[in-house]
Amino acid sequence: MIKKTLIAAVVILTILSTSMLFASGQSDKPYPQGKDVKVIIPKGAGGGTDTSARGMLQFLGKKIEGINFVPVNKPDGGGVTGMVETANADADGYTLGMVTVELAMFPHQGKSPVTYEDFAPIAAPIAAPAALIVPADAPYDTLDEFVAYCKENSGKLQVGNSGMGAIWHIAAMKFEEEFDVKVKHVPYPNGTADIVAALLGGHIDATFADPSGVKGQYEAGQVKIIATMSAERSNLYPDVPTFKELGHDLTIRAWAALVAPKDTPADVLQILRDAADAIYDDPEYIQYFVKQGIDPTHIVGDDCYEMMKQDHELYEQML
Amino acid sequence: MYVIEAFVQVFQPMNIIGLVFGTGIGILIGALPGLSVNMGIALLFPLTFAYTGIGGILMLMGIYCGAIYGGSISAILLNTPGTPASAATTLDGYPLAIKQNQPGRALGLSTLGSLFGGVFSAITLMLISPLLAKVALKFSKPEFFALAIFGISIITSLSSGSVLKGLMGGILGLFLATIGIDAMSGEIRFTFGTIYLMGGISFIPILIGLFAFSQILLTIEESYGKPQQKKVVKIDRSFPSLKDIKKVLSTLIRSSFIGTFIGCVPGTGGDIASFISYDQAKKWSKHKEEFGNGALEGICAPEAGNNAVSGGAFIPMLTLGIPGDGATAIMLGALLVQGIQPGPLLFKEQMPTVYSLFLGLLIANIVMGIFGFSLIRLFVKVINVPKKYLLPLIFSLTFVGAYAYNNSLTDIFIMVGFGILGYFLNKFEFSMSAIIIGIILGKLAEANFRGSLIMSDGDMMVFIQHPICLTLLIVAVLSLISPLLSSAFKRMKNREKTV
Repeated sequence: MIKKTLIAAVVILTILSTSMLFASGQSDKPYPQGKDVKVIIPKGAGGGTDTSARGMLQFLGKKIEGINFVPVNKPDGGGVTGMVETANADADGYTLGMVTVELAMFPHQGKSPVTYEDFAPIAAPIAAPAALIVPADAPYDTLDEFVAYCKENSGKLQVGNSGMGAIWHIAAMKFEEEFDVKVKHVPYPNGTADIVAALLGGHIDATFADPSGVKGQYEAGQVKIIATMSAERSNLYPDVPTFKELGHDLTIRAWAALVAPKDTPADVLQILRDAADAIYDDPEYIQYFVKQGIDPTHIVGDDCYEMMKQDHELYEQML
Repeated sequence: MYVIEAFVQVFQPMNIIGLVFGTGIGILIGALPGLSVNMGIALLFPLTFAYTGIGGILMLMGIYCGAIYGGSISAILLNTPGTPASAATTLDGYPLAIKQNQPGRALGLSTLGSLFGGVFSAITLMLISPLLAKVALKFSKPEFFALAIFGISIITSLSSGSVLKGLMGGILGLFLATIGIDAMSGEIRFTFGTIYLMGGISFIPILIGLFAFSQILLTIEESYGKPQQKKVVKIDRSFPSLKDIKKVLSTLIRSSFIGTFIGCVPGTGGDIASFISYDQAKKWSKHKEEFGNGALEGICAPEAGNNAVSGGAFIPMLTLGIPGDGATAIMLGALLVQGIQPGPLLFKEQMPTVYSLFLGLLIANIVMGIFGFSLIRLFVKVINVPKKYLLPLIFSLTFVGAYAYNNSLTDIFIMVGFGILGYFLNKFEFSMSAIIIGIILGKLAEANFRGSLIMSDGDMMVFIQHPICLTLLIVAVLSLISPLLSSAFKRMKNREKTV
């Protein structure tokens, strides 16, 4: 009996000491220590945010030795649940998350308890601008013609958006405010695909939406893109002017950013941000996005924080 | 010429392996409640990068077709739909398989229905996709509203018992669909301050609760304390007999039409198609009383309808570049990665690719059928597993499924809550399908009703001025009152006889 207890004690001690040895050995190693890094994606599998996130992680993984990203989709609560979970996670670099432009909008509508201040951004792989898209047979080709048409038919033009209070609706409202016109806002809660169908079916006159959703239709000459609300011209649509070039400083962008919880150690953030910086030099990375009709953005670290802050303030003023 | 090129492109060993692998995985994903078609496709999406050309897409097509079919297996054998699209299959599939003890016949018919619907829609896609795409584009908000109302109206014919209880269930479903952010105004409704409910109450946990969890409670109650009877179900045939096929042929064709069309209208999918197909099968049937007790058409119709959605959903995706549902949206992404831009230009510039995709979908459906027919004997063994092993297994699967859908713990509570509710609703003979239809169609009906009024500046005439909309609304009203009318007719006839 005593013998058995002794043996058991020895076995347990050995296991404990070796595991402690391993643990202490590991803590000397730099991040990521061979542990899995969980990435919370607050949107469903297969959507735009999800594909961009998974694509970015795939390339990030190549730049950081020994890292293994495990993406987890948490689309509950319109995405807020996932963002809150990232904000509340242990700030040790082993839980990261994606946040979307809703983070800049929801707090002002009482829909989100967390804001950009709760996160330390790593990089934003996409920031899709709102583009003014109209059917090919529409009687306007330029912004001036469109505005003039809006004024003639005040309150009659049907402009599609992805839901009232959602980003493309705000883009259309911003347009109304800037040009002092009135349009009719028609919501399509399922998003861009339904808006494009309505545009092609002749049910609406225009939309402010992500131009990557109409790449095929644009190339086939079924829709016209009049202008984009981005700072610079898109690489995908080099012929399309920006509102800024035309003298109207409107920037509305639907971004998604990889972030860590606020208090994540600086050295861990540095490793992740350096890697994020490096992937933009990888032509394969650029190709991954361009092929899907997305213009990848190079917004890393503090720039990303600045963008999130700017948009937070923009929507605070709007909503 | 294109066809030969397409054959060469598709019949590469690696492509066929991918297709068969995808179909197998798809059937498994479909059969397990909580694992959705979209999830399966999204998870295997990165694998498509390994392929050049259309090989990866073929694999995704396999998953897509396999998963829609797979849902029927658990619907028939366990009364637990593996996917929402198979909820209608439980209505007659489970009674035929378990109560009448003919699981082989039930599975054979569902496989036949799936195969027929899938192949029919793939052929339709090849022949008249540009035409159908044009019709689909005619659908604006009033038409979507009318379609949703038509779908809701079939609640009366689905509820085999009391029409009133069916309508009550439907209203419960419609109410559940209003929870969350209202996309029409941006306001938050019925969330009681929780973040969880903001995106709406999750549908899949409700489905698992109402069907699977409540079914387990009922089975435990039935068999508790009773000696276990060893069940050995043997099946002599897995392919339906000629007599059966003859009986369901017209139903198969009708359901395939319905499914293909519903698939090609963006924003509607297999769940709606299967219920409408079931309803139509019952309406056209000469022996309506069999429905709900194991009618052969009641199994074939929803399965042909939901698998026909696959080809239908590809129509707007390939011809217009607009995905017909969530699954085709991910496949659109996979095509783009391969440098294939769906849309009108595809038909002008890459005809061989178009034909390869057509052919791929056709083969995916055939592979699905071969898998189905050859595995029926294996599937049926599930029934022979003693309840003391089977029930705990399904019981744990309900939890895994409810959690896996959104990775959310709250979803588990929702599932259990609706499971207990479902147990009592079953006792009071309410129809689960009515609730499910309410949830599926509530958002579609509401959003498009209010959207139509925004577009028409509040003028109700908009629903009468659109011809497709008006037709659908009239059919919906007729469908709603037809059970009442037919009983009135019967009474009149009886009176004549007595006189």
